[in-house]
Amino acid sequence: QTTFNWKMTNAYGPGSPFYVEGPGSPTDFCKKVTAMSDGRINIQHFAAGELIPALEGFDAVRSGAVEMNAANAYFWAGKLPAAQYFTTVPFGLNFQGMNAWLYHAGGMELWDELYAPLGLKALPMGNTGVQMTGWFRKPIESVADFKDLKMRIPGLAGKVYAALGVDVKLLPGGEIFPALERGVIDAAEFVGPYQDRRLGLQNAAKYYYTTGWHEPSNVTELLINQAKWDSLPADLQAIVQTAAMACNLESHTWCEANNAAALKDLVENSGVIANVLPDEVVAELKTVTDKVLAEGAAADPATKKVHDAFMAFKAEHQSWAAISEKPYHNLPG
Amino acid sequence: MPFTEILALCMIGAFFIFLLAGIPVAVCLGVTGLVFGYVGFGPMLFSLLPARIFGVITNYTLLALPLFIFMGIMLEKSRIAEDLLEVIGLAMGGLRGGMALAIILVGVLMGAASGVVGATVVTVGLIALGPIINRGYDAGVACGVICASGTLGQIIPPSLVLILLADIMGESVGTLFAAALFPGLLLAGLFVAYVLLLGVIRPDAVPAIPAEERALYTGRDLAVKLVKVVLPPIALIVLVLGSIIGGVAAPTEAASMGALGSIVLALLAGRLSYPVLRDAVRGAFITSAMVFLILIFAQPFGLAFRGLGGERLVQDAFAVVPGGLNGQIFFLMLLLFVLGFFLEWIEISYIALPLFLPIFMQSGVDMAWIAILVAVNLQTSFLTPPFGWALFFLKGVAPPSVRTGDIYRGVIPFIGLQLVGLALVFSFPGLATWLPGAIGW
Amino acid sequence: MIPVIEKIANGASGIVRHIGRIAAWSGLALVLLVAFNVLSRYLFSYGTVALQEAEWHLMAVGALFGMSYGLNQGAEVRVDILYARMPARLQALINLISALLMCAVALIITWLCIAYVQSSYSINEGSPDPGGLGHRYVLKAAMPVAFAVLAIQAVAMTGESLLALLRPRPGTSSS
Ligand code: NA
Ligand code: NA
Repeated sequence: QTTFNWKMTNAYGPGSPFYVEGPGSPTDFCKKVTAMSDGRINIQHFAAGELIPALEGFDAVRSGAVEMNAANAYFWAGKLPAAQYFTTVPFGLNFQGMNAWLYHAGGMELWDELYAPLGLKALPMGNTGVQMTGWFRKPIESVADFKDLKMRIPGLAGKVYAALGVDVKLLPGGEIFPALERGVIDAAEFVGPYQDRRLGLQNAAKYYYTTGWHEPSNVTELLINQAKWDSLPADLQAIVQTAAMACNLESHTWCEANNAAALKDLVENSGVIANVLPDEVVAELKTVTDKVLAEGAAADPATKKVHDAFMAFKAEHQSWAAISEKPYHNLPG
Repeated sequence: MPFTEILALCMIGAFFIFLLAGIPVAVCLGVTGLVFGYVGFGPMLFSLLPARIFGVITNYTLLALPLFIFMGIMLEKSRIAEDLLEVIGLAMGGLRGGMALAIILVGVLMGAASGVVGATVVTVGLIALGPIINRGYDAGVACGVICASGTLGQIIPPSLVLILLADIMGESVGTLFAAALFPGLLLAGLFVAYVLLLGVIRPDAVPAIPAEERALYTGRDLAVKLVKVVLPPIALIVLVLGSIIGGVAAPTEAASMGALGSIVLALLAGRLSYPVLRDAVRGAFITSAMVFLILIFAQPFGLAFRGLGGERLVQDAFAVVPGGLNGQIFFLMLLLFVLGFFLEWIEISYIALPLFLPIFMQSGVDMAWIAILVAVNLQTSFLTPPFGWALFFLKGVAPPSVRTGDIYRGVIPFIGLQLVGLALVFSFPGLATWLPGAIGW
Repeated sequence: MIPVIEKIANGASGIVRHIGRIAAWSGLALVLLVAFNVLSRYLFSYGTVALQEAEWHLMAVGALFGMSYGLNQGAEVRVDILYARMPARLQALINLISALLMCAVALIITWLCIAYVQSSYSINEGSPDPGGLGHRYVLKAAMPVAFAVLAIQAVAMTGESLLALLRPRPGTSSS
């Protein structure tokens, strides 16, 4: 019987909860796979910087030097613009909708189709659930408050904010705190209460806005070298798929369980003011988002195909959510 | 012991032999890494090497390095720095070690402006090493003061080490910045005390400016000279620090304010000509290149150490540590210190820390305190011969008359002082834990 | 023999010197660019993603082409505890070995980098951030080019140390 000794790199640094350590995390995935296969497949995990820098996993898996990488597909936006749709889309799908699309409505097939020419395969392996809008030094009362606001915000959301007059600043994770604390930037987006508290952002800005219009959920991507995947016997493939699916559920529920306590702690013990963005602001963000997404789809045929499929499913899913989840949330607690 | 771990040990051994034979550091790193890595696991892992190199050259936090180096060289080439330390020496009057104290002060200020060790050591080395040796300082003492002061930047916030440790240890960056402040100042205080002590027991190693020369200046002359000569460089440091504190620039970007300021100063002093600018540009380029050359060639070595399972050597050793939290802390400190002899600090953090984290987290000990102990220890590793980064960087800018031996000899007392500082933080955890609690970070 | 080596060494060294003198100005450009980004953001809330990315693009180019120019100008760092006490010819021998090894390492890395660039070029890699600098493979292509230039510098150093070994000892001929 062959034993498979594989390597997995990760886009996040050592010790990061959810992204590296903890229930349903990539290291947990490696443990699960070893246990389920009785040691026939062992995956050695390397956090960002241990073997390669954070964002080099895509090329590393493609070259076959490592077999797997854990990251978010939107990190590959410069390589495959359509990949962003497999992490999150502003005003897109929440945890339930995203998984419904991926597992049952053609999402996985489109993902495979996008990656196959590069000899890659991906599986969803985690989800943060809905994120927070971010931290602001001043309250946001109208769209005019975005004018000349300096904000750390990467990716598509940055483009949307920029259209509303925000001055977008790129900063590595570690510099967010000193820059926000001293007012070099006026606002910053990171993840959610549990992760943001680790960075100490509550000591730098007090206005904490919700909801994560820009990241209504966020899929952790397990990237696999296709040739290496094909070399696995069918039972081990099934184990990897099942472990990834287990992590997808376990990581999300872990976030749900921890964010509540973290946000409560931030509000009660750090004087954080948690607030929902005004409706007028959200409406404007939505208008600009539609425009930005349409531009992206027009520029790249592969993106257009994924975009159209995603939006078609979103409409369908929302019609169901509108009569199921939404009224339920409005019931008296 | 598996074959690959034996190879990892052989790689370290071969590296030392190459290094002692006088082969340039970059070549030692590159060759041992490629050869032993290839023997251990063939060519596949090395296809990751370009990714690692790309990571170094595009690492945003390293931006401060060329910027600060530019500032230092501009000050040197435009001769603005030339009189700086002499005037400080004059102003210190008959106090022996005055110029060394000035260097420590500059180290603290630059440390507060930057977190990149190479930048501070190289800048202070460029500005100060020549002048104080000309003033009759013992070369070893001069080098030791510069290296030790230059590495203060790693503990005085903001600092790259603290940002990385915050990430690994799950503490907020702000907490660690606050926790590091007093230990950093404590170290600076120990350095000051040592220099003052040297003034008493080895007066010829740290001479004051001769009384005859001081007599040439009246107090008024000196005051005028002080303002004219000392103010501009101090203004630069204030500009850098001020742009961080005033919310103008993020810590890394702030270095650009100093670099731009140095050009403006040279212009105001009427010393900015094309030849001066050209020489400064080339000089800064060469000095930055020296640092990047070592960082880039360290990549095959680090990749091979990882690929050969070097971290398992550490795990094996840890398995036999006698129990008790203090025993484990002591082992961690010893391990970091030893690894510091041959590995870069980032590599050390990634290899050693994850092993210990679960144990410390379960024991309920204050992780900020552990992080500061680690940071002080890593800072010491910049100074440990033969592979302290600070030593290489200073050697790169030292006058030819300064031998590696002078540098090694000079840093030993400072390594001792660092260990004293470490022991103090260990014995009095409040040094690290009080401030974050007091300001609510 | 000696004139040929001399010619090769000087030629190689000259190439590196010319490239380095041009690349050196990236340092000044970097200072001005970062300062511009800081000041324009602070004073006018003006900034673009492309100009921010240009910061580390400039640093990367400077770091890459600085390697060869730095060595060309004698900026290598070594532990000279034993080296400083060695006779000149032994020093030259060590320099010869070092230069040959440097050349080999530089060529290996050049070769490794080519696949890395091809992988980027094949998918027309750009910036992951909207508004960032496109054509990332151009920046990546600077890697093999810079290591090839480093190999040329190593050839120059090989030649120089060979000359030091082949030439008559200064003590015996010049007096
Ligand atoms: Na610092
Ligand atoms: Na060291």
